[in-house]
Amino acid sequence: MRVKTLGLAGLAALMLAGTAGMARAQGPSGKAWVHVRVEEGPRQSKVSVNLPVSVVDAALEAAPEEIMSHGHIHLGRMGRHDLTVSDLRKAWNEMKATGDAEFATVEEEDQKVRIARAGNLMLIHVDKTDGEESVRVEVPIEVVDALFSGQGEELNLRAGFAELKKRRGDIVRVKDNHSTVRIWIDEGN
Amino acid sequence: MLKMVLIGAVAVPAIAAGSVAATGVVVVDVKEARGGQHIVVPVPLALAQVAAAFVPMEKTHVRLPPKAVQYMPVAKQVLAALAEAEDGELVRVEEPNEKVSIRKEGDLLKIQVDDNGEHVKVQVPISLALSALPESGNQFSASQAVWALQHARLTEIVNVQGRDGERVTVTVY
Repeated sequence: MRVKTLGLAGLAALMLAGTAGMARAQGPSGKAWVHVRVEEGPRQSKVSVNLPVSVVDAALEAAPEEIMSHGHIHLGRMGRHDLTVSDLRKAWNEMKATGDAEFATVEEEDQKVRIARAGNLMLIHVDKTDGEESVRVEVPIEVVDALFSGQGEELNLRAGFAELKKRRGDIVRVKDNHSTVRIWIDEGN
Repeated sequence: MLKMVLIGAVAVPAIAAGSVAATGVVVVDVKEARGGQHIVVPVPLALAQVAAAFVPMEKTHVRLPPKAVQYMPVAKQVLAALAEAEDGELVRVEEPNEKVSIRKEGDLLKIQVDDNGEHVKVQVPISLALSALPESGNQFSASQAVWALQHARLTEIVNVQGRDGERVTVTVY
């Protein structure tokens, strides 16, 4: 279960990181910024990173060929479970046709994982039963759709970002008893 | 005849001063703590450039690791995009007794580090960073870096203040 959860979180993070990079400083979203905040309570440490989407975009555009290829990222098979992008694409096509639904709810002794669609958003929520740790990933449906518009084992990052840049607000929130992480997009720096 | 000598006596230093002013001067200012020595070293950029030309290539060129060469285009693209982006704070790290901030203001990247009473401020014009990065190949040239300082005219590029009051500044005029 842990492997699956980590896989999903990893995929979500990869999608977000990748798509965030595909921003274009054009039109109304030209001044959008990607923000990352990490706070660690016990160390009294706070880290803020604020990047214009155009900068991350430039970085990905110039990224070496082995990482990026024309706005697509090649994932291949993911780990020992052989979960491929093609598999995920098929599953996604099935899921998106169902409308609002709970796609998966897994309750274990120490945590609860919920993957659901609510309106325009794909939700991935992980909560520890002791209430001290939680993960919230919220991605617009159109973003996931656009990401899976690539062929074979590729995710279409450029298309994914074209959708993601329309979003303003939280994308990822992670909280545990020592730290919090928040990733969001807005118009301010 | 005397007139010619006088004109020559005034013109030569004037042309020399003009040339130095035109090509730039780096002034290193070191002030020791508690009323210690105060040393000011002005270095004309043109002179530094000429001096660099006489140093053997292996001493002035730093061979870049393959990964750095591979990511050089990324660094350039990022800097170019940053130059055109809105001003703002890009990075802020706060820990007890330590603070790091990287801001973009106009063409300047301002890096400020406060660490237990020590203060370091570095201002790097983005155009300087862009021109200091090698166009191609796997070597970073010191003379190219010196020449790139032309982009930092009238900028205090380094200001370090120690816990005991000592101070070092490097300014390009």
